[in-house]
Amino acid sequence: MSKWMKLSTVMLGISLIATACGGANNNNQPAATPGTGDNNVEKVELTAWAWNVNVGALNEAMTMYQKDHPNVSIKVEDIGRLDVYDKLSTGLAAGGSGLPDIVLVEDDRIQGYLEAFPKGFQNLSDKGFDAKADQFPAFKKELTSKDGKFYAFPFDAGPTGMFYRKDIFEKAGVDATKIETWDDFLAAGQTIKSKTGAYALPADKFKDDANFRMMMNELGVYYFDKDGNIDFNNPKVVQAMATLKKFGDADLVKDVNGWDGIVSATVDGSVATIPFGAWYYGTIIDQAKDTKGKWGVFLLPAFEKGGNRAANLGGSSWMLNADSERVDAAYGFMEYFSTTSAVQAVAMEKFGLFPSLQSTYSEPAFQADNEFFGGQKIWKLFGDEMANIPTPYYTKDYAMAMDEAVKAQAHVFMDKDPAKALKEAAERLADRTKRAVNNG
Amino acid sequence: MRTKSYVPYLFLTPAIVLFAVFMVYPILYSFLLSFQTSVGGEFEFAGLDNYRRLFQDEIFWTALKNTFVILIIQVPLMLTISIVLATFLNTAKSFKGLFRVSFFMPAVTSLVAYSIIFSIMLMGDGLINQALQAIGLNGVPWLSHPLWAKAALILAITWRWAGYNMVIYLAAMQNIPESLYEAASLDGASKLRQFFTVTVPQLKPVILFTAILSTIGTLQLFDEPYTLTKGGPSDATLSIGMYLYQTGFRYYDFGYASTLAYVIVLLIAILSFVQFKLTGDE
Repeated sequence: MSKWMKLSTVMLGISLIATACGGANNNNQPAATPGTGDNNVEKVELTAWAWNVNVGALNEAMTMYQKDHPNVSIKVEDIGRLDVYDKLSTGLAAGGSGLPDIVLVEDDRIQGYLEAFPKGFQNLSDKGFDAKADQFPAFKKELTSKDGKFYAFPFDAGPTGMFYRKDIFEKAGVDATKIETWDDFLAAGQTIKSKTGAYALPADKFKDDANFRMMMNELGVYYFDKDGNIDFNNPKVVQAMATLKKFGDADLVKDVNGWDGIVSATVDGSVATIPFGAWYYGTIIDQAKDTKGKWGVFLLPAFEKGGNRAANLGGSSWMLNADSERVDAAYGFMEYFSTTSAVQAVAMEKFGLFPSLQSTYSEPAFQADNEFFGGQKIWKLFGDEMANIPTPYYTKDYAMAMDEAVKAQAHVFMDKDPAKALKEAAERLADRTKRAVNNG
Repeated sequence: MRTKSYVPYLFLTPAIVLFAVFMVYPILYSFLLSFQTSVGGEFEFAGLDNYRRLFQDEIFWTALKNTFVILIIQVPLMLTISIVLATFLNTAKSFKGLFRVSFFMPAVTSLVAYSIIFSIMLMGDGLINQALQAIGLNGVPWLSHPLWAKAALILAITWRWAGYNMVIYLAAMQNIPESLYEAASLDGASKLRQFFTVTVPQLKPVILFTAILSTIGTLQLFDEPYTLTKGGPSDATLSIGMYLYQTGFRYYDFGYASTLAYVIVLLIAILSFVQFKLTGDE
């Protein structure tokens, strides 16, 4: 045997072993022992992946949970948001190896994961979650379920608001409470720009379409309709893009680069309002400490007088690994976490995570005046908004749809007709996803 | 005493095992994956479907075109800058070390830090535009115009890698015998003439080496578009590497992503072969 033959035999052997190991990993797991969560004898350590403030929220909740369940503990790995997805996608593609019991997933990604990896996540309805579901607003229920079954514990949400600088508004003589429609806001923005030089709103024109998504959601439409058809040609979607263009044409949109760009525009006062989800509160109080008391918030303007002003941007939910042997213990803890208003109140007060559990809104924290926002009852405003938020339909092709929408937005800001830009985007998206396109 | 014939292999085993697990297995597996497609979470064999899909995939062609535009402009530009810098440094009398280090620094800078600083400098009201306006020019939409965004990428990559190639050239130049230059100057050749008839031919193998390395690097381009432009505006800076990442990790289509990976491999093989042929080396 030549030495190359020997070498390749060795390597072939090794790769066979490697394949065998990979295959064995997910099949030979012991069956779940029911009721481990209530069993005081057996110690259970759960594992979870989450990012940022969510880690603290989960750890705090575990401390509270341990009063009744001293045998359960949790190890939360703090991994960057995008890294969680990379690791999760790779793990699921490899048949579920190396995944934790609990993982945090943003709402706009849930349906994508469920369609791409239908066997990867625990069906929560089978464990009895349906009985608890009515405590959450309708849009959140739709986002966390598929074909009538729950696959994620609803957690935080991002009811939208216009965070605005009171001092800039006052200097320009604009009364924020009088702004009811986007046209009102356009007029106000022009006054503010001419009197103070501040832009009406920031946008990462060529990389992100957050404003567009908020407007679509407010109008009750999204990239896709309920049946998963591409809805870019819907007159309401066109209306949202056209409204954005009006602000662009009037030079009221500050072009910022990425998240850092938005934050620095917030801090230096070069924009008068920032439309965002409730979670942006945390960033404002953290990054713009000097502006304490100068902030206010009002709901997104409506598209017509008296129209809907509720929308949502962002928010996430917790999913369970279906292959985990500790799935019952994980279910027990996560059900406690997501349906106990005291826990959710802590997550909100300490970490600024706005809960979707409706019973939380009657907690005292939600009725209080907010000092940073000049005594405004901002949490009550957001809490009241929650019930009216329409459901956005994300589907598994959400990431692709967003890429095409961002391209359409880029074209619109480069002076293309909104309806035309969206029509082209719809065609490209149809080509990529093989989905049907709704016509107008 | 004769060593038994298997003994060398025993010593090689650790290296071979690591190589097999971390290199051979993924390479073979992704090759298999490139013929598969995911149906409801299970991979199924799909024959040449993924490869056929390439031909109808407009975004793939856009990404390919972008990558080549950047490649064709950036690699020669950067190598020219590197070789000119190296020539000056080679003849410099003082501060040689200081310059060498300053030009090489970008190559060892943390990628994230470098791209954040570039994105801040290139912003609409960033440092570079402020400087342009200060000397009476108009600001440039660096990251938001299809053409300028490509220019910004080329600028960033060149900044990062020119010094690295310069150090390689510098090392090679120090091996060129002084006698060649002496003979050339006795024959009356100017400095410029010496550069083209002595330095460049002597550096040929090194130029080939850096050209291939840079070509491979640019074909795999990912970091800069990912951090600076996210492939935008409107796919103007989408590279194949970036499209591969999007396909795998954002659209969960690992089969097609593997196909794209093999397209890159094929391109690198072809281009390296062409470069060898063009320069006439064995």
